[in-house]
Amino acid sequence: MHALEARHAPVVSLWVWYHVGGRNEVPGTTGMSHFLEHMLFKGTPKHPKGDLDKLLARYGALWNAFTSEDVTCYFETVPAERYPVALDLEADRMRNALITVEETEAERNVIVSEREGLENDPSFLLGEQLQAVAFARHPYAQGVIGSKEEIKLMTRDGLYAHYRRHYAPSNAYFIVAGDASAEELLDRASAAFGSLDAEVPIEPPKAPEPPQYGEKRVIVRRAGGALPIIQIGHKAPRASDPRAPALSALAVALAGATAGGGEAASGRSSRLYRALVDTGLATTVEATFQLMKDPYLFVVEAHLGPGATHDRVERVVLDELEKVARTTLTGDEFGRVRRQMLSASAFMTDTVTWRAFRFGQLLATGAAASLGEWYDRLAAVSAEDVRAAAESVFQERGRVVGWFVPEPS
Amino acid sequence: MDVRRHRLENGLRVAAIPIPGLLSAAVLLAIEAGFEPLGRPGVGRLCALTMLRGTTTRDAKTWADALDGIGAAARLDVGSHAATFSAQSLGSDLDVLLELMAEAVMHPAFAPNEVELVRQQTVAQIEEDARNTRAVAESAWRELVYPKGHPFRARPIGDVDVVRAASADDLREHHRRAIHPDGAVLVVAGGVDPQQVFDASAKAFSSWRAGGSREERKVPDARLASTVRRIEVVPDKTQSDVVLGWPGLPRTDPRFVAARVTNMVFAADTFASRAGHVVRDELGLAYYVFSTIGGSLGQSPWVVRMGVNPINVERAVSTTLEELRKIVDGKVAEEDLELAQDKLVGELDVARESPAGVASLLLEGEVFNLGPDYAERYPRELRAVTLEQVVEIARAFLPPDRHALAIAGPPLPERD
Repeated sequence: MHALEARHAPVVSLWVWYHVGGRNEVPGTTGMSHFLEHMLFKGTPKHPKGDLDKLLARYGALWNAFTSEDVTCYFETVPAERYPVALDLEADRMRNALITVEETEAERNVIVSEREGLENDPSFLLGEQLQAVAFARHPYAQGVIGSKEEIKLMTRDGLYAHYRRHYAPSNAYFIVAGDASAEELLDRASAAFGSLDAEVPIEPPKAPEPPQYGEKRVIVRRAGGALPIIQIGHKAPRASDPRAPALSALAVALAGATAGGGEAASGRSSRLYRALVDTGLATTVEATFQLMKDPYLFVVEAHLGPGATHDRVERVVLDELEKVARTTLTGDEFGRVRRQMLSASAFMTDTVTWRAFRFGQLLATGAAASLGEWYDRLAAVSAEDVRAAAESVFQERGRVVGWFVPEPS
Repeated sequence: MDVRRHRLENGLRVAAIPIPGLLSAAVLLAIEAGFEPLGRPGVGRLCALTMLRGTTTRDAKTWADALDGIGAAARLDVGSHAATFSAQSLGSDLDVLLELMAEAVMHPAFAPNEVELVRQQTVAQIEEDARNTRAVAESAWRELVYPKGHPFRARPIGDVDVVRAASADDLREHHRRAIHPDGAVLVVAGGVDPQQVFDASAKAFSSWRAGGSREERKVPDARLASTVRRIEVVPDKTQSDVVLGWPGLPRTDPRFVAARVTNMVFAADTFASRAGHVVRDELGLAYYVFSTIGGSLGQSPWVVRMGVNPINVERAVSTTLEELRKIVDGKVAEEDLELAQDKLVGELDVARESPAGVASLLLEGEVFNLGPDYAERYPRELRAVTLEQVVEIARAFLPPDRHALAIAGPPLPERD
């Protein structure tokens, strides 16, 4: 349990991070952690479905949940005086969710609908395939939401077993930030969660990804989009790797700290924006290094401009990656990168919800033990660190290239 | 909230809200951006995006270097007759940020190569939107509700032919005519000192002058004479996007706060609203379902949006309308109203967790001249709405048997 004082607004944001996600699933049950996340909103014996939902809605709470490859996470941001209600909700559903057959059936349709909504997006379709091709053994290949067929086959008993195994204080981080002393925030949390029993320790999944010996490629052809898309992934280290801060800076150098379409004006001094968007080869470009428990991917995604070909854009991206791996950023350029990282950190920590999220993310993925430690490590990154990180990651042997090719209707 | 206000000689109103303990500042500049020329939707957005690509003193690259040099985030969103420049920087960089924003607003270069680049991006986006079910449903709905020539008929991105034909001179002329300091509001919230905000805004914006007289035009009324429906098939999709709605009411209408409460009772939220709760939580028909009511000088869309499997579309729509009928028939419990009011008031508290949230809270009152005490008064106004008002509003603005429905996605199953 960790608490941060945040006194500028009369709110508290609490987050429960469970160490279970797509990474803990096997073929046949992909999407189980995400399905389970939905079921945690369906009530407990003490708080039947709709009970606390309405109470939190009444308080104007910002509250939701998400599932990733590594974790399942629940959060509530509430007026400070409602902190005990949110605590009660989280402590209760950590061990007492009902997960009935009837609710499982009703929610199955919602999850299929969520999956179908994602399938409408060409970028999702390509990303799912890219991930599947990138990993031969590691469960990161499976993604998070699961296939529609497996969602349809998910059983109530399977979900409940998954729940009992993974949802326990011994498999979770609790993070809170808000308008009270850290001690008070923690005391209340200890009282809420302290009586819950631990579960048998869970072994992390043992399916390390074997080495890759050459570039992999995938093409997705659908009529669902008008613009071609390219995604280029390179195998990248886990969050706890010493290179993680430099790779975060590298993503900023390549495409800026905040992504966005034509309406967004920031990040336009970045390498890939200049090489692709300013030249009309692409309409948008993003570079992402995610903090993950196991080695994952550094991904560049570009939506091609009118008349641009996949071949040409792929060549330009790879040239830029090679340049940044060969030569250090100029002093001015690196100054802008540092400043964007510094500002982005301030923007995040100046919002109570995001301050708590960031702290939890660092802890849950093993990136750092505190916000301060992470920011210090970001501040210590040098231009040469960025170049060296790029050189170590942007290798043909760790590359996977995906093309989305729109087909005529 | 500790709000300090100031007005520059050119009419620009400035509001500052210091939040001790924060490093960053959120900036919102709302510009009453005039109307697009009649029949030329898309000119306003094209103009706004080109404003972000170079000024008469700094080309696009130099301006972008300066913005990234302070690590600021910034974007310019444009509607049919208003634009919002939103940005965030460290409080210590506020003067530089405002200077860059002011340059873009007052002295855009409209260099031909930059206009071409923005045009190319916009055309590509319009083509992509033609395959995007949400965008297709939204466009179809607007065409059902607003007559030709109405400023809300087209989405801000506009018509492809207008975008292809617009020249740099057209954009310059639109900028001269539409982007004025009078009616504009600058709100800054976060780790700043009010005097610093007033000094920096005066330095950046005091030379802003209207380039030409603004054409005064009233937003025409919109009215649905009967139920209208349109189905658009978008190939190779698995989900249908649904927009069901009515023309709303201007933000300046005295009934607007009651309408906002009605919207929450009806469908704004999965947990606090009737239709949202039934469609998603009880029946599992949609992953997302929510309604929004637009606040502008005209009748912005008041719509329910849903993502639904094609086989469930009819049921999701009829269930939503059934819930609405209950409200219209007066079958609303006091508890529904209280829940909606609590939710709307509670959200105001939670929004204070970030500088951007605080700035947004203040902006509406400033833009629509709702009075200096608006932030304090607004929660009381929400609480004062009665059950009778909710029913009255629903009857007046949301007649269930006179709605506009647009559906975009795979072909729908045959109806029995």
